[in-house]
Amino acid sequence: MAGFRLAKGGLIDRSTTLDFTFDGKSFSGHPGDTLASALIANGVHLMGRSFKYHRPRGVIAAGAAEPNALVELRDGGRKEANTRATVIELYDGLKARSQNRWPSLNFDIGAINSLAASVFVAGFYYKTFMWPKSFWEKIYEPLIRRAAGLGSATHEADPDKYEKSYGHCDLLVIGSGPAGLSAALTAGRSGARVLLIDEGSRLGGSLLNENEEIGGVAGFDWAQAAIAELASLANVTLMPRTTVFGAYDGNVFGALERVNDHVLAPSPFEPRQRYWKIMAKRAVLAAGAEERPIVFGGNDVPGVMLASAMRTFANRYATASGKSVVVFTNNDSGYRTARDLKAKGVHVEVIIDSRKDAAAEASGIPVLKGRSVSDATAGKIVSGVELSDHTRIACDTVAMSGGWSPVVNLLCHKGAKPVWNDKLQAFLPSNGDAQLVAAGAANGAMLLSEALNEGAEKAAKAVGDLGFTAKVDVPKCRDEAYKIAPLWWVKESHGKAFVDYQNDVTPKDLPLAAREGYSSIELAKRYTTAGMATDQGKLGNVNAIAILAEAAGKSIAEIGTTTFRPFYTPVAFAAFAGPFTGHHFMPTRKTPLHDWAEELGAVFVETGLWLRSSWFPLPTESGWLDPVIREVNAARQKVGICDVSTLGKIDVQGPDAAEFLNRLYCNGFAQLDVGKARYGLMLREDGIVMDDGTTSRLAADHFFMTTTTANAAKIMTHMEFCHQALWPELDVQYVSVSEQWAQMAVAGPKARPTLQKIVDDVVLDDITFPYLAAKEISILGGITARLFRISFSGEHAYELSVPADYGNLVARALMQAGEEFGITPYGVEALSVMRVEKGHVAGGELNGTTTADDLGLGRMMSTKKDYIGRMMAGREGLTAKDRQVVVGIRPVDKADRIRAGSHLLKKDDKPSLAGSQGYITAVAYSPTLGYWLGLALCANGRQRHGEIVKVFDGIRNIHMYAEICDPMHYDKENKKLHA
Amino acid sequence: MPDTAIAIKRVSALADIAVQGRFGADKGAPGVTFSVRHPASIVTVIARKDKSEALSKAVETAYRFPLPGVGESAGKNGLAFHWCGADQYFAIAEGKAEAELYRELKTRFEGLASCSDQSHGRVIIRVVGPKARALLSKGTPIDLHASAFGPGKSAMTQMAHVGVHLIQTGEDAFELSVFRGFSENFWEWLTEQAEEYGYQVL
Repeated sequence: MAGFRLAKGGLIDRSTTLDFTFDGKSFSGHPGDTLASALIANGVHLMGRSFKYHRPRGVIAAGAAEPNALVELRDGGRKEANTRATVIELYDGLKARSQNRWPSLNFDIGAINSLAASVFVAGFYYKTFMWPKSFWEKIYEPLIRRAAGLGSATHEADPDKYEKSYGHCDLLVIGSGPAGLSAALTAGRSGARVLLIDEGSRLGGSLLNENEEIGGVAGFDWAQAAIAELASLANVTLMPRTTVFGAYDGNVFGALERVNDHVLAPSPFEPRQRYWKIMAKRAVLAAGAEERPIVFGGNDVPGVMLASAMRTFANRYATASGKSVVVFTNNDSGYRTARDLKAKGVHVEVIIDSRKDAAAEASGIPVLKGRSVSDATAGKIVSGVELSDHTRIACDTVAMSGGWSPVVNLLCHKGAKPVWNDKLQAFLPSNGDAQLVAAGAANGAMLLSEALNEGAEKAAKAVGDLGFTAKVDVPKCRDEAYKIAPLWWVKESHGKAFVDYQNDVTPKDLPLAAREGYSSIELAKRYTTAGMATDQGKLGNVNAIAILAEAAGKSIAEIGTTTFRPFYTPVAFAAFAGPFTGHHFMPTRKTPLHDWAEELGAVFVETGLWLRSSWFPLPTESGWLDPVIREVNAARQKVGICDVSTLGKIDVQGPDAAEFLNRLYCNGFAQLDVGKARYGLMLREDGIVMDDGTTSRLAADHFFMTTTTANAAKIMTHMEFCHQALWPELDVQYVSVSEQWAQMAVAGPKARPTLQKIVDDVVLDDITFPYLAAKEISILGGITARLFRISFSGEHAYELSVPADYGNLVARALMQAGEEFGITPYGVEALSVMRVEKGHVAGGELNGTTTADDLGLGRMMSTKKDYIGRMMAGREGLTAKDRQVVVGIRPVDKADRIRAGSHLLKKDDKPSLAGSQGYITAVAYSPTLGYWLGLALCANGRQRHGEIVKVFDGIRNIHMYAEICDPMHYDKENKKLHA
Repeated sequence: MPDTAIAIKRVSALADIAVQGRFGADKGAPGVTFSVRHPASIVTVIARKDKSEALSKAVETAYRFPLPGVGESAGKNGLAFHWCGADQYFAIAEGKAEAELYRELKTRFEGLASCSDQSHGRVIIRVVGPKARALLSKGTPIDLHASAFGPGKSAMTQMAHVGVHLIQTGEDAFELSVFRGFSENFWEWLTEQAEEYGYQVL
C-alpha cells in the first residue's frame, strides 16, 4: 500500500514545493501540509516505535492529541524531542527523525519485547525489580529508562530567543471552530475586547477539516468571511498558532504562541515562542471534541486511524491514507468519513457498525450492522480485518470511531470534575464558574447548529455581564445527526489491543489493576500508566475508564476521571524562562562608582544582585591575597577608599520620626543630637537580631538610616509593616534613597587631609567633625554632600555621600587628592579583613540565630523603653548562660590557617561534631598581625578567653589548636579610631 | 578648600549605554523610539499624617493644579506630580539646578509633606511609538489598553524583575523610571524586546 496525494482540493499550496527529510531520506510536500500529511502523501506510514514493545506505529490522529507519531525535530541546539508530526507545519529544509528505535525504524531490535509481552503487564517493574533494593536506582531504573523511552534532548544551548507577554481582554475565546467563531463574532460586534486564540496554524477549527454548510455557503467559506470580519474589528485580536495550556485562579490563562516554529530558524530579531499570561474578564472554551479509538486487536498498526483524522487528511490536506478503507464505528460520525472519502474517489470497502439499529446515511457504501472488527491483520501495515464472527475483509486502511469526548481540560484545571452523560457516552463539563464557560462540542453540543448557537449565546451573556449589548444572530446551517451506542473493547480480539498507545497499555492491564486493588482511577492510572506521558491520555482515557468500570463492577460515572492539570500540551522550558536566561536570569545592579572601580581594575563579586568591587589587583599581583594585604596595609597606614554605595539608605522624616526609630531599634534614638550618627541594632519580633547600621539625624524631624546591603529591602518592608499595622498613629514618612547616593568610605591616618582637599569652606578637625559627626557639606566647589565620621575598619574614617550622578567624578577627585598620601582603593575583601581584625559583627554573626548579647551588644538593649523584640528577647532560652556567643579565635601555631565553618571542640576531644562547642563564622588573614584569625560563636565563650580548643574542619578532615580570645584582635583601646 | 578644578556635570547612568542610532528589524519607520530623560529632577513627596488635603491645596496655590488622584498624574509648566502610592507622589521637572526642586518643595510644603530628593536615584526612559504598548506588555501585567490606562495615568509596577514607575504621557508615549543601579540591565532587556519592531535611540 502507498498513501498518496489526491489530485485536487485541500488547503495546500500546490504551486510551491517544500523539501524535507525524515530519517535522512528526502521528501517533498506543500505549504499547508503538516509533517504527518506530507509523509502520508509520500506513502510513509511508519513513523515511530512504541514505548514498551517497540511496535511499529503510524499516525492515529490529525492534531494535538497524537500519541504515536512523535519525532525529533531539527538539529543541534534547536533539536526538540517528542514533537507531534500532526502539528508540525511543513517548512522548506525541515529535518525530522523517528525515535525509540535501534538500529532503524524498520528493523528495531527492541521489538523482541513483544515476544515477552505476557510478563510486561502492569506493575511489572514494581514487582520484578524489587530486590536487592539498592539495585533500583543504580541498575534497574537506568536500564529500563534506556529501553523504554521517547526522544532524547539536546545538551547544546538553545540559540533562539523566547519572550513573555501579558494579555488582557473582556472575552477570551479558546478555539476558532464554529462555536468559537460564533462567540467571537457576537462579542466582537458588541464592541467588547475579544481575544480569539487557536492552537492551529490557521483559524477555523473543524471547519477546515469538514464539509459543512453554513448560511448557504460551504462551512470553510463562512469561516473565512467570519475571520475577515473579526480581523477588521479594532477591538478583536486574533492569535493562531497559540495554545491555551492552563486555566488559573482569577481567570488568568497561560498560553504559548509559536511565533516562529513554522520556519527553519527565526529572524535574529524575533522570538521562537512567546509565553502569555492572559487576564480575561470572561472566557468561552470552544475547544471542540476529540474522537476516541476503539480497542481491538492491532488497533495500533500503521494504517489504523481515527475516522475523523482520515477525513481531515483527505479534506484539508488532500491526502488519502490508503486505497481501500474499512470504517469501524459505534456512532454516526464514522459515516461522514466513509462518504467524504468516497466523494474524493477513495474506495471504501465497507462500514462495520457495532449498532444493530444504526440508521445513518451511507451514500451507497455497504454497511454491516451489529458487527465488530476484532483484529486488524498486519505485518508493519494493515492487510485486512477480521470481524468477531471471523469474517475476513481485505483492506489497507481502517478508520475507527469510538465516539467523541469533549475537550474539557481547561474547565477542570481549577478543580471541577466533568460529569458523565449516558446519551452522548461522554464526560461533559460540570456547571463551572460564570467566568469560564464551555460552548459547542466542548460542551457536548454535537450538532453544528447547536455549536453556532451556544457560541453566540454564551458570548452574549458573558459580555452582557460586562455591560456590552450583544445581539445573537446565528446563520442557518446543515446538521449531521449524531447517535452513539457504547462499545469500548472488542473482547473477541486475538492480537494485542491498546487502550493507551503512548504507554502501550492493553485492556488486560486495567482488570489486573482492579484485581490487585487499584480500582480507583487515580491509582489505576499510576499502576498501569494509562493516561501518562506527553499526550496525557487524550485519546485513551475514557476507554480506560470504561474498561476499569466494568472490571470493578461500577458505572463509568462512579469511576470518574483522573485530575486534569495544566499543561494541555507540553510546553518547552525555554518558554517559561523567556528572556530571563544567562546574565538576565536575575537583574544586575551596578553602583554609581562602578565605572571608577572598573577603571582601577577592580575584580567584581556578585553580592545579591549588586556587583561590588572585591579587590583591585595591580598588574604585578596574582591571586586575591596579595592585593587584599596591600589594600589593608594602605588603609591602616595611609588612606584607603572603598565603595559602600550598596548599603541600604532610607530617608525617615516627620514629627514622629525619632519615636519611630526609637521603637524599631533596641537602643535609644530619641535623644540623638542633630548632626550626629549612631550605630543602631534592630531585633526581630522574636528577639533575634535582624539588622544593624548607622543612622544619622540631619534635622529634628529628619533621619538618614543605613541598613546592611543584604537587608535593605527587608528592613523597608519591616518598617512599612510596623508603621501600618502596629503604630499607624505615628506621623512618620520614609522612602528608600539607596540609589540617590554614591557612598564611599575614606579610612586611614591620612583620611582627614585627603578629604580636606575636596571639602569647601569647612576645616575638618575634632571640633568641627568629631567622631560620629554627620553633616551636610559642600565639596568640589558646590556639590552638596553628606559627610559622616564613622568607621567599620577601626581607623580614623569617614563615609562621604554624594548624589549618584557625581559618584565617579568625586571618587576620581579623591584619588587625585589622596595621591600624595598614597591613597589606595580597597574592596569588600579588605573591608572584611579589617572588620574581623576589629571584631565587628557582620553577616556571618548576624545569621538569624544570634541575640544582641550573643554578639556582645547586650548592653545596647535599652531598659528605658519598649521596642520590637524586647519581650521575646527575655525568653529563658535566649538569655541562657551557655549560649554560643561571639569570641575571637587565633591559631596556637601562627602558621596554621583556620577555616570558616570549622567547629570548636574541647582540647582533648576526638575530632567529631559530637561535643561541638560552636563554630567559626568568619576568618581572615590579618596583614596587621601576621596570621590567620577569626570570629566564632562559642558556648559560654566570654568566660573562656584564653582556653585552647581543638578546631575541627570536617570537610577537609583536619584539625588544629587555637586559642579563644577577645573578638577585638586589634587596637582594643580604639586609639586609631580617634587618632 | 578644594585645590582640584573639576568640571561639575551630572553623568547619567546610561551615558555610555543608550547609544544613538537605529537598531533591530528594519520594517520601515521604527516601532518605538527611546530616549533618556536626563538630567531630571525627581522628588518623592509624602503627605504628612492627615495633611493630604492641605498639601493638595498648597500644590494648587503654588502651581495652579491639584494633586492627582490615585493612579494619576497632574502637571503644568514643566512640573508634574505623579501618584506612586498612598499619599505619595513623584514630583518631576526638568531644567532645574542641582537639588533646586527638592529645596523648593521642602520649603513650600514645610509641615505638610516630607520630601526626599531622588533625582540621581532613578533613571527615566521615554518610550514613544506605535509599538510602545505592545513592548511594555512584555513586561508589565498592567492593562495598557485605552479603556484601562491612558495619558495622565501613573502606576507602580514591575518589569523584568525590576520595580518601575510607569506613566503615560501621550497616545503612544510612556515613561519608565527605574532605580539607577538597575538601569543598564533594564535598558538591555527593554531594547532587546523592541528588536522585532525596530527601534531608534534618540
